[in-house]
Amino acid sequence: MKLRQLALAASAAVFSLGLAAAPQIGAPAPDFTVVDSKGNSHSLKDFAGKNVVLEWTNHDCPFVVKHYSGNMQALQADMTAQDVVWLSVISSAPGKQGHVSGAKADELTASRSAKPTAVVFDESGVVGKAYDAKTTPHMYVIDKAGVLQYMGGIDSIPSAKVDDIAKATPYFANAAKAVLAGQTPDPAVTKPYGCSIKY
Amino acid sequence: MPNVIFALLLLMSALVPQQAAAASSGWQSASHLKAELVSEYQQLTAGQTALLALHFVPDEHWHTYWQNPGDSGLATSLSWQLPEGVTVGDIIWPTPSAIALPPLMNYGFEGQTILLSELSLPAGYSADTVQIGLTADWLVCEEVCIPASASFSLSLPVGADAVLAEQYQPLFAEAKKRLPKPLNASGRFDTSGAAFSALIDLPQALNVSQFFVAASELVDHAAEQQIVLNNNQLKLQQPLNTYFSAAPDALEVVLVTDSGAYSVLLNKASDSATDILITQGQQAATPLWLILLLAASGGLLLNLMPCVFPVLSLKALSLASNSQQRQAQQRDALFYSAGVVLSFALLALLLIALRAAGQAVGWGFQLQNPYLVALLVYLLFALGLSLSGVVQFGLGLMNSGGSLASAKGGKGAFFTGVLAVVVASPCTAPFMGTALGYAVGQSATVALTVFVALGLGMALPFLLLAFVPGFARLLPKPGAWMESFKQWLAYPLYLSAVWLLWVYGRQTGIDAQALLLIGVVCVAAACWLWGRRQLAQAGKVSTALALMLLLLALVLPALTSGTSDNATQPQSSSQHWQSWSAAKLQQLKAEGKPVLVNMTADWCITCLVNERVALNTESSKAALALYDVTYLKGDWTLRDAAITEYLRLYQRDGVPLYVLYWPGQPPEVLPQILTPDTLATTLERLSRQP
Repeated sequence: MKLRQLALAASAAVFSLGLAAAPQIGAPAPDFTVVDSKGNSHSLKDFAGKNVVLEWTNHDCPFVVKHYSGNMQALQADMTAQDVVWLSVISSAPGKQGHVSGAKADELTASRSAKPTAVVFDESGVVGKAYDAKTTPHMYVIDKAGVLQYMGGIDSIPSAKVDDIAKATPYFANAAKAVLAGQTPDPAVTKPYGCSIKY
Repeated sequence: MPNVIFALLLLMSALVPQQAAAASSGWQSASHLKAELVSEYQQLTAGQTALLALHFVPDEHWHTYWQNPGDSGLATSLSWQLPEGVTVGDIIWPTPSAIALPPLMNYGFEGQTILLSELSLPAGYSADTVQIGLTADWLVCEEVCIPASASFSLSLPVGADAVLAEQYQPLFAEAKKRLPKPLNASGRFDTSGAAFSALIDLPQALNVSQFFVAASELVDHAAEQQIVLNNNQLKLQQPLNTYFSAAPDALEVVLVTDSGAYSVLLNKASDSATDILITQGQQAATPLWLILLLAASGGLLLNLMPCVFPVLSLKALSLASNSQQRQAQQRDALFYSAGVVLSFALLALLLIALRAAGQAVGWGFQLQNPYLVALLVYLLFALGLSLSGVVQFGLGLMNSGGSLASAKGGKGAFFTGVLAVVVASPCTAPFMGTALGYAVGQSATVALTVFVALGLGMALPFLLLAFVPGFARLLPKPGAWMESFKQWLAYPLYLSAVWLLWVYGRQTGIDAQALLLIGVVCVAAACWLWGRRQLAQAGKVSTALALMLLLLALVLPALTSGTSDNATQPQSSSQHWQSWSAAKLQQLKAEGKPVLVNMTADWCITCLVNERVALNTESSKAALALYDVTYLKGDWTLRDAAITEYLRLYQRDGVPLYVLYWPGQPPEVLPQILTPDTLATTLERLSRQP
């Protein structure tokens, strides 16, 4: 009987750990410390008082390529101009698609005219798993108080076709604008779509 | 002549591919995948329906996606270009596979994949061909993904008769084989309490190993699935997806079974009145080997129970005393084990049969019938008298388990085993009811295996004594002390009888208990008379009198109605609980009040201990008052179908069961062994949640 109880307790504990990993809208966003392409360290708490956007990315993923046809760069330029901290997060494990060196990341930023505040690395996948990030792209908006306000897809049409960007409802852009205006995004949770993150 | 036939064959073989080609668009090669569009018919007729197949052959390890692609990926989508009036339905999806990319999970198809759609030609279609255009978009992935799009076209003649495309019939047959069969079953689902839960009434028993929810972003695809089958009622559960926002009114679920896949349409449970329960991972399937191991150790432990220990320790000592005859010992041990195992198997079969007959019984049923309790009181008491030396079972001719147990040889050993199980039965219910009940709830095979393991565990000491010489040597040397030891052992049996008497009294009231006590006196007298006869101090009259007394003892408990009058016990003002009813619980939940449900029974020792140390304490009463919790208590001492039903909702077949309902949270099942602060800490945690 004891053993059974123990087994149940253990499985319950594992289960609750799994639950604890899920980020929640309206709750403080999981803190993290990451190193960017230039070797600088960033923690979420360093950005207290600023709105933060997290963008999971993998430059070889067709869904990322779709949005880097101009849409993503425009969003980055628009947001960073309004003092938003935009972190492009790469959770690809070494040897997997999308895993790049700092120099390569900077080169990609330059060649694509991207405008993130920083490109940060999460080789171990710890940050990705804390946010339950599943796809590239996958977007999060965190407000000035460090509270998670939006998580999910970049827009409403899951496809890899550039033409669909104009037809889609820009969920992420709408949410980010709402947060900048001090409002609560609606919807605050949407379906993320794209390639799997290469953990 | 042969030349002509050969020429004809040649001609035909030349013609066939041409005809076939008309029913196929031909292969298109894309990155890591080739595709063709195929028609079931090579000639169509107005007013008919026909299947069209988009046939994918991806490279090895590359896959495309199901309608719910899982955590990433994209379902294949089709867009048709058709003449006026002609329509093509949605993709009829084959059964997907789970493709794990830890920590993510995708649902899709590897290897040859055939996506069927149904084409309908209107009755008044007059043109002599149908031009079918298809643009298909798909994502093909190994670990990296490649989106692709291709266009296919098919031109089919329309004539007076429909002509099947013979060459492609195997392809369509294969495609149909891979479709989940629609299951005529009603089911509903719920998404309350951070999990997707579904309850499906199956028309037949299905051994479901896996399920796929067709709605996207509903379940956490990579999370463990819980599948519980109970009397053809299937319960599915999987935690909700982080990106879940709203549930559709109805959704499709594909059940993968050992006899193929089935699809079921589930409706959203209308409101909280339909209660699909979430127990937060506590139903996690325990592996069978662990259950068997636990059952076996439980059986081993049974040997130490106060009702079993005296009987068996004597057997053990008798084994030790004639250590010369090893062969006889080994034979006895084997027969004894057979007796134990067969009795347990018989009990399991009885339980399974009762449940199959629709009886709401769980393990512990043997203590829910007052008459059976009375018989057990007599049995334990008589065995005690025997140990006290009042009577010697086995020397006479009385045809009971006791006498058979002392009979020489294998038969005696076998019936000792049976007797051990019978005297152990009141002990199994309170201490192992839940574990056994859980096993019974699984399947007949599992239940039987678990009971057999229990029996083997119980027989183990005897097998060890007989077959491992070292163990026999551990026993003390036989001697005169054995006689006084034997007499001491009578007292645990008397105490066990007292306990059962108390249970009987709670079940039937004090009057019936008095009658049973008279019966006990009759048994005492009968045993005494019998003992005198054994010593040749009494004649035939004594025998007759003993039998009459015994008969009277058996009749006495049958005279009482058997219904309890303690249900009408006045509720004292200091009592901090109310009696449970499904309606009351429902009402309290609807009012949004926190509720504690305690399912208990008087014969359940664990329940009584829990109440004493954890529920009826001042601190727990204070915690209940502080959080305004209504405490409902259900009494399963006697059979109660409503409570059995409630227990079953939580995959339980026995008491105790403690469930805490906190508004807006999934019901929380408390552990079976409560500590003094379990309730207070759980309430505090629940009240802190948003």
